Formats: sequence, C-alpha cells, structure tokens
Amino acid sequence: MSQIQERGSTHVYKVNKISKEEIESMVARCVYEHPPFCSAACPLKLDVRAFLEAAAAGNFKKALQLYEKAAAFPLVLAAGCEAPCEKRCRLAEIGDAVSIRAVEEAVARFGQAQKPGSVFRTRKKKTVAVFGSGLFALFLAGEIEKKAYPLTVLCEEADLEGFLRCETDFLDEDAFRAELKRLRGKDIQFVFGCTIDAAFFAEKRGAYDVVCASPAVRQRLFPEAASLPELMYCEEERLVSGPCTGVMDAAFGAKKAALTVDRLAQNLDPRNTRGQEGPVDSKLYTDLSAATALTKTPMPGAGYSREEAAAEAGRCIQCHCEECFKSCAYLAHYKKHPGLFAKEIYNNTQIIMGDHQLNKPMNSCALCGQCTVVCPNGVDMARVCLDARRNMVSTDKMPLAPHEFALLDMLFSNEEAFLSRPQPGFESCKYVFFPGCQASAIAPATVKAAYLDLCERLDGGVGLMLGCCGAIGDWAGRTELQEQTKILLDREFGKLGDPIVIAGCPTCKKELAGHEGLQIVGIWDILLKLGLPEGGHGLDRPAALHDSCGARGDESTRNAIRALAEKLGCVLVDTPYSGDRSPCCGYGGLSAYANREVAKELTEKCLARSDAPYISYCMACRDRFAREGRESKHILELLYGTDAGAPPDISEKRYNRLTLKKELLWELWQEETKEMKLDYALDYTGEARGMMDERMILTDDVIAVMDEVRKTGSCIFDEESGLYIACRRIGNATFWVKFSREGDAHYLVHRAWSHRMQVVKREG
Amino acid sequence: MAEKNYYTIDPEGKLTCMKCGVPLIKGKARFMYLDNGFPVELPVCPVCGFVYVPEELALGKVASVERALEDK
Ligand code: SF4
Ligand code: SF4
Ligand code: SF4
Ligand SMILES: [Zn+2]
Repeated sequence: MSQIQERGSTHVYKVNKISKEEIESMVARCVYEHPPFCSAACPLKLDVRAFLEAAAAGNFKKALQLYEKAAAFPLVLAAGCEAPCEKRCRLAEIGDAVSIRAVEEAVARFGQAQKPGSVFRTRKKKTVAVFGSGLFALFLAGEIEKKAYPLTVLCEEADLEGFLRCETDFLDEDAFRAELKRLRGKDIQFVFGCTIDAAFFAEKRGAYDVVCASPAVRQRLFPEAASLPELMYCEEERLVSGPCTGVMDAAFGAKKAALTVDRLAQNLDPRNTRGQEGPVDSKLYTDLSAATALTKTPMPGAGYSREEAAAEAGRCIQCHCEECFKSCAYLAHYKKHPGLFAKEIYNNTQIIMGDHQLNKPMNSCALCGQCTVVCPNGVDMARVCLDARRNMVSTDKMPLAPHEFALLDMLFSNEEAFLSRPQPGFESCKYVFFPGCQASAIAPATVKAAYLDLCERLDGGVGLMLGCCGAIGDWAGRTELQEQTKILLDREFGKLGDPIVIAGCPTCKKELAGHEGLQIVGIWDILLKLGLPEGGHGLDRPAALHDSCGARGDESTRNAIRALAEKLGCVLVDTPYSGDRSPCCGYGGLSAYANREVAKELTEKCLARSDAPYISYCMACRDRFAREGRESKHILELLYGTDAGAPPDISEKRYNRLTLKKELLWELWQEETKEMKLDYALDYTGEARGMMDERMILTDDVIAVMDEVRKTGSCIFDEESGLYIACRRIGNATFWVKFSREGDAHYLVHRAWSHRMQVVKREG
Repeated sequence: MAEKNYYTIDPEGKLTCMKCGVPLIKGKARFMYLDNGFPVELPVCPVCGFVYVPEELALGKVASVERALEDK
C-alpha cells in the first residue's frame, strides 16, 4: 500500500501564496468589531452597550466610570444631552428605544464617584491654562485634568460656585450640589475674580505651555481670529478655543480641544493622528428576533430610581453580531470572531521560522460553509482555512500527523478496496453507482442492496465504483492527492464508457462536479423517479432530518431527500438551522482528525437541535450521530430496510470495505479474491481494541508487527507484566504491541501504542 | 563533550531481549524527527541494539515533542 511522504525537516524557509488583499477583504467583511448603533451615534463615544450592561447589573459605580470617560461632569451632560444614541437604538425599529439618557442621569445621580486621590497619577510637566468660564471651559477643564496636566483656570467669577453656575442654569439644585462636589475634588488650580482683558491675557499667558479660552473670552479678545472647528484651535493666536452651542456641542468641543492641547503640549501638529472623532458609521448586524421587552420603563417626574434605571438598562439587547458563533461550534470553541481569526490564520501561514500556533485551529474547521450562509456579510471561513492548509502544504510546512490517517484511508479506498466494474453482462454502462467511501465502510449491506436495486430497475447497465471521491485530499489541503484521485477516477469512468455517475453521497456529488464533462445525479433523484424500492419503511416516530454540509447550496438534493422521507411515511420535526444553514456533523474538513474535541462539539451542536432520532443522507453524519448514542439512520437504510447497526471502529471500517468488494466480486463477477490468511491466531482484549480505535492503530498495523516477531524473533519480555513487547516501523510511525502467548502460534494483544519519532541506538 | 540526555530510563534488569537472551541495559539512544535529534537513555539490548520505547514515554513526552516540532 502507498505511503505519504512526511516532510523532511522543520527547517524550510518558504513563504505563502495567499493573497493578502483577499484576506483583508474577508476580514473587513466581518462587522463583529463595529460599534453598536447607539455608540456609533454618540459624539463622545460612550460605550453605551457596556454602560447599560453595568447599569442593568446594578453596578452603578462601573457604569458611572464609563460615563465619566465620555464627560467629566456627568450630571451636566445628562441634563442637557440630546441623546442621538436613542434615535439610533435598534429597539426603536420594533418598539421603544432604550431610554439611554434617563439611565445616564440616574447613574450620574446614584453612581458613586471615585474619591479624589484614589487613583495615583503622575502629573505631566507641561502646564495648561483655561481663561474664562461656561460649559466649554468646564468640560475642557475636566478633560485636561483627566489627562493629568497641571491646570489653572482663570475666571471672572468670585468663587467655585459662581464658576459652575455659568451657563448651567438648567441644572436642578441637587445636581448642582453634586457637580460642585465633583469639581472640588478635581486637581485644578483656580484664580478667581480676574478681569480678563487683552492686557491681563498678554501678561498671564506666558506662564503656561498651552493656553485655552472659553468661546466668550476668545470672542472678546480676538474677534477676528478664526478657529478650526475640528481642532478647536486658532492657529495665529496659538489659542485653543472655538464656538460652541449647547451641552453636547460643548462636551464634544471640549474633547476635541483636549486632544489638541495634548498634541500641542508634546510639540506635535494638532492635525495629525487624531483618530476618528465624533459619530461614526456602523454596519453592525443585530438579530432582533429574540428581543422581547419592547416598551420602556415608565419614568416618574423625578427620574428613574435605581431599580427602574437597572430595569430600563436591562432592556438593551446588547447588540452584537454573533450569527456565526451561534451556529458554528468551531468558532464558539475558539471564541474568536472570523475577522480576527482569519487574520491570525493568515499570519500563521506567513511565519517562516518559529511556532505555527494556528495550525490546529486552521485544521479544526469543518470547511462546511455554514458560516458563509448564516453571516449577513457572507464571511467564508472555510475558504480562509482551506487556503491556509493548501498554502502550508505547498510550502512544506504542513504537519502530516493530523491528516495522515485519513489520507492513508483514502489511498486504501482507492487501492486495496477500490473496485470498478460494469454491470455483469454489459461492456459499457449508461450509469455507474458511486456510493462513496464512507458508505462502504459503514453500511456495506446497504450499498449492496442499493446497487442490486439500481441494476434491476435501470436500463442501460449500471456499473459500480467503490472508492473515495478525493474530498479527503481536498480537505487536507493536498491538491496533489486530490488531482491524482481525479485522474484515477476519470480513467475508470472512461473504461466504463463515461457513464452518468449516480452519487450516493452529497459530498461525493459536489467533489465529482469538479470533473470536466462528467454528468452526476444523486441516487435520491433516481429513486424519486423510479419510485420506492420494496422493503423500505420510515421510522415509526417523528424524526429530525439533518442536512449534510455537502448539500449546502444544493436545494434540489435537499428537496429530493425530503420528498423520499415523506414517501416513506416519515414524520419530520422542525429543527433550527436546517436546510441550507445546517451545521456540520464534525466529519467535514477532517475536523475529527485534527481536533476531536471540536469535532465532538460540532456533533453535539447538531444533536442539540432535537431529541428525536436523526435521519441523514451522508454516511459520515449517520456514523457520528450513532457514536454519540443517538438513534441514527441513513435515508438509504430506510429505503432498503437495511440496518448498519452499531458504528464500526476504524479497523472494521477497512474490513467492511474489503469484504464488500470481495463479496460483490465473487457474487456478481465470479472473481475470486486471493485471501491473505494468517498462519497464526491473533486475538485482542476488549481494552486493546478500544485503545487501538482511540489511538488510530489498525489491526493491519498490529499484524505487521506480529509478522515481524514471527519472522525475526525480535521482541522483549517484560517481567513486571509478564507480557512480550515488539515493534515495527511502518511508514511514518513506529507501532508497539504488548502481547501474551496463548499457545503455539496464538497471541493475545493486550496493548498497542505508536509514535512518529524514530529512535536509534547512539554510539559512545 | 558528553551530550545532555533529555530522558533516562533504567530497565533495572526487568526486561529481556528474547532474540539475544540477555537483559536490556540503560543505553544511549537518539530520537529523530523532522530533521531534529534528541539524545536519550533508554533500555537497549547490548547485543542486537533493540531500543525500547515504553508506552508512557511514547504517549507522554514523545508525543508532546512531536506536536511541538510539527508546528515548527
Ligand atoms: S456573522 Fe460572524 S463573520 Fe459574519 S459579520 Fe457577524 S461576527 Fe463577523
Ligand atoms: S439595544 Fe442596546 S446596544 Fe443595541 S442599539 Fe439599543 S442601546 Fe445600543
Ligand atoms: S466549521 Fe463550518 S461554519 Fe464553522 S467556521 Fe468552519 S466552515 Fe464556517
Ligand atoms: Zn537483542
């Protein structure tokens, strides 16, 4: 049997073939990191989602901290803000928007402000002055203080109360007192009772590194000076200021001005690297279907109580795009949104030297395409992961270990277990039945029944081809093996007279569609036309129909299966994510070989949709569901009244393929297969059998070891266990067998293990 | 200079080579994988050179080094 060449060395320094632009466009399509519409609309960039989450949990302290990030004087802002966020709240589309401003006001009222001095800060060196008073000066002073610049406010008012009163007459007395207390706690130097005229200004400004003024002071002293509103800066006067009207405008202006101060203090051009200021565009997708609390919490005149505020905040549905996470267990497992994940996987392919930490994640994706149909923007992780695998293979950096077993299994299907024959009595055929490697491995009797039925009921001859379609090579990123398979199959199709292929598996159908000039139908289409075979019957209980990921985008196959199930009398229950949005059973993309845990989670996700028995039309799905203990039937088992029984282990899957081939060759073509009979008896303990399945060790591997023992006598005796131990290098791995001698030429295998490293004796 | 051994097992006379009829002894061996090598001391037959890799070692240390190298 063929082997697959392991890569020679870890010291290969080749790079990628994936186009960076393509990855970037994929990454850009994912809107996971877009802000919710409420935050996007807020010029102050309040993290509304986190704010409401904290408030809903009753954590007003945290909520207030977030709100103070947006504005240093929360009660002033809350009293005067026009709440553009509420206008964009998604809930407004189906009911009342969250009363964000009212929650803010309550949080500002009840939230515990941080005690002054509770956070240790180092003051910066450069000094800043603000001349004047009013909303802009107030907010600006707050922002500059946050940035820890030593700040002096020079105002005309006589005291702090007077300073705060300026332009804030909309504040009620309680709020005013609270803000006064907050202002007192700030690290700001005040000079009261100033007469701010040109002479005063000229005299004082020199003492500070950066100078700011309220709009009124600027207007009075420099009526001609124009300030750029996006910078809040009059360049010719080197003065930070600008026009502002209203609370929100002043708070936003103060944010921009504070950034300008920051840049000037560092002797940088205030125009550069300012990031995105003000409201932004968001394309976030939110599923509103689960939203329930659609009417707002009524508000008494005095504003929300703590409880009411928390209740109102709790109405927020925490807009996030997580369509793909909700549906795909693989993405949920790694907890990474595709925008980030795709980038990391791409970067993984770019590493020339060092660890490729994303190998396992990239090989764990089922390549099933579900994300692409559930994502509102069609993000295609299968494409990303498959390209990455191909790339790693082509640069000789792909580990063979995770996929070797599956690839050897594919070679086995297309060598020892391969069969291609025209129907007895025909030289060339109108059709050829291609059941797929998993069908022969898992349900050989069903394959046989289906083939005999097709031969009987179709005219023109039906050939039979037992083999693998090449999907396994494709999934492993080994395009060469996929190509070889294609050549083999095409040659064999040619010998049969280029028949129409009747695929027994939707993945085979999809894979074979890549062959030029090949006509393919599903067996389901044929059976729908011919009518049900005799002996078939549906399940006597309602069942869930699991759509194969191989049938994604193939509505006609999905409909044909449903029609057959209905004809069989099956009652199908509705399941979420059925049809085109179906999840993968865990077999796809060789996920199960690279990451059992993820594959199991994928299977469980499928089964969590319903408690009913499952009907599938891909043998791998049937197998994985049965392994999880669910009653699981392939539609062909129902159609032919066959029962594939308990799921076979890896060795039985090979045995089944060989036996089916042998049986059919003998019964239909009267060809005898040479039996390879062992000239000794070999048994396995139950433990050994389970261990071998788990460790991917075949009975064939054990036989190879035992053959060697009998030939060379080379083995060791372990006194402790009283057992013998032998090994043999087969392909890229060394297999070890621990056994007892049960008599002359009779062995009982107790344990088996393997490793890929080679071990040699070292001299010296 | 003597190479540092990554792993040492002493058979303590409990393993016998059936081909040569002698006990295995602690001997020098080397693991090789993907062009990387690690010196170890394992039970070795002094006559035929059979090197024994116990199950725990294969599934433990050896497997984890394999994983690490595969992702290089
Ligand atoms: S569904 Fe997933 S991939 Fe698509 S935009 Fe949302 S988070 Fe991104
Ligand atoms: S529901 Fe919440 S997160 Fe979504 S837009 Fe409204 S306030 Fe923002
Ligand atoms: S397993 Fe399927 S749904 Fe999940 S990321 Fe991969 S291709 Fe997309
Ligand atoms: Zn020996």
